[in-house]
This record gives sequence, C-alpha cells and structure tokens, in this order.
Amino acid sequence: MNKLTTQDFIFMVDTMANIIIENEVPFCELDSAAGDGDFGMSVAKGFKQLKKDWNDVDKDDIGSFLKGCGMIILEYCGGASGPIWGSAFRGAAKCIGDAKETNLQGLADIMQAAAEAVYKTGEKSFGKGAVVGDKTLIDALVPCADSLTASAKAGEELIPAMKKAAQAAVDGAEKTKYISAKMGRAANVGDRSINYPDAGAYALGVIFTGISDAMSKK
Amino acid sequence: MKKIINKPETFVIEMCQGLAKAHPELEFIEKHKIVKKKEINKDKVTLISGGGSGHEPAHAGFVGKGMLDVAVCGDVFASPTTIQVYNAICKSASKKGTLLIIKNYSGDCMNFDGAAEMAKEDDDINVEQVYVNDDIAVKDSLYTVGRRGVAGTVFVHKIAGAAAEKGKSLKEAKEVANKAIANVRSLGFALTSCTVPAKGTPTFDIGDDEMEFGVGIHGEPGIAREKIQSSDELAKRIVNAIITDLKLKQGDEIALLINGFGATPLQELYLFNNSVSNVLEEKKINIYKTLVGNYMTAIDMAGASVSILKLDAELKEMLDYEVNTPALKL
Repeated sequence: MNKLTTQDFIFMVDTMANIIIENEVPFCELDSAAGDGDFGMSVAKGFKQLKKDWNDVDKDDIGSFLKGCGMIILEYCGGASGPIWGSAFRGAAKCIGDAKETNLQGLADIMQAAAEAVYKTGEKSFGKGAVVGDKTLIDALVPCADSLTASAKAGEELIPAMKKAAQAAVDGAEKTKYISAKMGRAANVGDRSINYPDAGAYALGVIFTGISDAMSKK
Repeated sequence: MKKIINKPETFVIEMCQGLAKAHPELEFIEKHKIVKKKEINKDKVTLISGGGSGHEPAHAGFVGKGMLDVAVCGDVFASPTTIQVYNAICKSASKKGTLLIIKNYSGDCMNFDGAAEMAKEDDDINVEQVYVNDDIAVKDSLYTVGRRGVAGTVFVHKIAGAAAEKGKSLKEAKEVANKAIANVRSLGFALTSCTVPAKGTPTFDIGDDEMEFGVGIHGEPGIAREKIQSSDELAKRIVNAIITDLKLKQGDEIALLINGFGATPLQELYLFNNSVSNVLEEKKINIYKTLVGNYMTAIDMAGASVSILKLDAELKEMLDYEVNTPALKL
C-alpha cells in the first residue's frame, strides 16, 4: 500500500477522533500538572461534535473533508485548541486541495502545512509562533512532519514511514519533559513545568501512534 | 465532588440561564453562550469581554450600565471559541465600534483576535482589542506570551465602561483602557485548590498548613508552595511586591481591590483588607476607593488577591462614574 485515498483520510480522522474521546480524562490530567486542566475536555468537545456532524461533512475529496473537519474543530474545541487544531486542519486542506488520492510525499506536505498553519496562528496573536523547544504541540508535530519528509525523500514504504513518524512525535513529546515552557499556558509557571510533558505534544504522540497502528492493520 | 449541579455538560448553560432570570435586563443567547444587554445602545462604543467560565461574577456579572455590553462564556476555564466571540461582535455592533477586553492567555488571545479579524473583514465592523496582563506572579520576558490577566481586569471593565458611557470614541476608549492596564497590578495566594465540574476532583493537592503563593485564577500552580503565613505577613509581602512593580511612591492615589477566589468568607476578606490597608497607610499611599468581595473567582478556591490601580485625574473620573451591573454597583 503506497497510496492514500479520501477514504483513508476519513478513516484516519475517525481513528483520531476516537483516540481523543477515549483519552479525554488522561489528557486533562496531563494538563493539570502545569496548565489549567482543560486540554482533554476542550479537544474532545470538538471531536465529539465532529462525530455528531460526521454525515454532513463534505467527503468528496481530501481537501474538502479536512476543511470541513477544521471548521467544526474551530467552532467547537474550547480554549486555545480550537484555533490551533482548526488551523492545522485548514492548513492541511489548503495544501492538498481537491485531490482524491496522494502518496507519502503528499502526506509529508500535508503535515508540514499543518505545522506551518499552527505557527502562523500563534504569530498572528503573539508576534511569533511556537517553535521546537517552546514546549507546545509543535515539539511533536514538527519532528513527525520532518520524519515523513525524510522518508519520502528516501523512497520508503508508506506504513513503515508512518510508524517512524509516530515514534518521532512520541520522542519529541518525551523531550518536552525536560524543558521549561516558553509558549502556551504552561509558560505561566515557567520552570515548574519541568518534569511534565506538554499535554498537546504528548497527545499527538498517542494519536499518531494509534493512527499508524490502525493503518497497518487495514 | 459536592456541588449544586444537574450534570457537568450543561453546567455553564444552566448557570447563565439562572443569571438572566435574576436580571431581566440581560439576555442569554444559548446557541453562542453569550450574555448581553437586551438593549444595545448603537451610539456608544460596545464593550465585550469574556473568557473561560469559573470566574463568576466575571464576566457576565459585569454586563450592564457603565461596564460591559456583552460577556462571552467559554466552558469552565477554557476560552470561548472564535465563532462564539464573532457572534458576540455581530450581535452588539454599534456605530462607534467595538472594544474587546481580553485577559492575556494564549487561548483567549487567539480566539478573540481571530473573531476580530473575521468581523473586520467580513462585516466591516470596527473592532479594537486590549489585553489585560496584571498578574505580577508571572515573569514577563521576551520569550513568553507575557503576564496573565487576573482580577485587575475588573478595573479595566469599569474604566472602559465609563469611557464608553461618556460617549468617547473607540480610539479614546481604547486609550483609557490601556492606561488602566498600564497602571494596574495584582498578586494572589490560594489556601485550597478548586474543582472543575467536568473533572470532579481538585486540580492540585495542598496540605492543611500550606499555601500556593502567586497563584492564578484557574487553580494552576503559582510561584511557590509554602507554609501558610499570617494575614499581616501576606499583606506586607504582596503590597511591597506591587509597590515595587508599579513604582508607587508616597502620596500616590490608588484604587484597591481585595478579591476573593470563591471559597473565602467575607469576614476573612475584610480582615485581610485591614492588613493591606495598614501597610498602604504606613507607606503613605492614599486609598481613594476600596472594593472587597468575590469579583474574579477560581470556582471554589480559598484565597485572595490584591489588585492596585494607580490613579490620575482621568482614571478617578472614570472610576467615579455610575455603574449598575449585577455584580458591581457604585
């Protein structure tokens, strides 16, 4: 399997939504350590709504589907998660456009576009977006996207490349344990965020691992 | 968890419905979770604030004459969404434009800024934003998003509300709001944690003899966990820190807010006000007006914060202006 169709993207987002909903409480608890404890709930709220509106989401092509998801996430995810996750989906949608099929290179481009969109959302409000090392979900998203880009360049197979990228996200999240937050809510507590991973980065590690496992069993 | 509750999912909605029933001059639009004046005055600048719920009476309790026109209510401790704020802007647009008063948190900034951009681009509504960042517990540096907004926001609502009521332009209202922001500082401490309804357990554990110094208004950690201190010791420490940060000197005039976090009884807040006022008197700083009460809470957290607003003639005039809202009447 080296192609990803619209159906595959629908399957991956559905898997993602299930993982987020199942992990609502653990994700909240992670955020309690250094943040304000709403992360799991805020993200789950948007993805629960997405599941509710699932039949109405445009599924004609990959871009329309991702954009439709992004708008629901923007509207229903609470806190900072709405703008961040919403912009990631909309950035990804814009990148892939009305394609109905793509490959590993296309997936890598989509993930790079998602990371870029998150950066720009931060930049609009704070003059600069989060970069790796600020202790945000970017610490997992960027290594994951970079791993996909490298795998595409090396001509690797799709599923092993996705597994590798998921591991890069997990490793990136792990590294956030050892740094003090510079952006996001945990920045308010500075050094007291050390020893706790960033909740968003950690969640992405869990989500990408779950997606690559599910895809490999397809 | 022991609360007066039906179920966590409808907690915020039922609370807002209850508020609107107690104050018929306000209406609650459930679809967008906004509390607004029934009658919007199209000839004055519209003021909108909001944020996560859990800070009651902030912000819906400050909707009324001389303060806010609309409060946008997020879930407990989570910013309202961009779409909620956008709808609040559209439903309260006036000829003079709209000022958004935002507490400086990542989520609030992104959602309110995104909504302002949508309203400007799609609906030609004139929108400006100010960001309150009064908590001196948070280190301000080039590498972070800056200090967070806490109880000092109540003064900003009051000052901007008076400016709007007096017929000032959007630009003028924004300027005076920013003047209030530049001159207000806060610092607080918690004796207990708080319980978010959806989670059901306290956000942090704390010993009977401990306090969290420099705490925020979401049960998030503060500067340090310490042994509890006496009211006089806390007052001295907090007032001195604010005086230094605000560069207050003898003879300066201030407004003082002793803000309870939700579970501290008024008797303790008045006692604490006595301690704080004594320190200010010793320093020969003149207290022009004092507010004591629960204005910006963290659900059921015990503890309090001190906010000090340094005054000049203009801020005094705005502070003295009539205000009539559910939670503040002067």
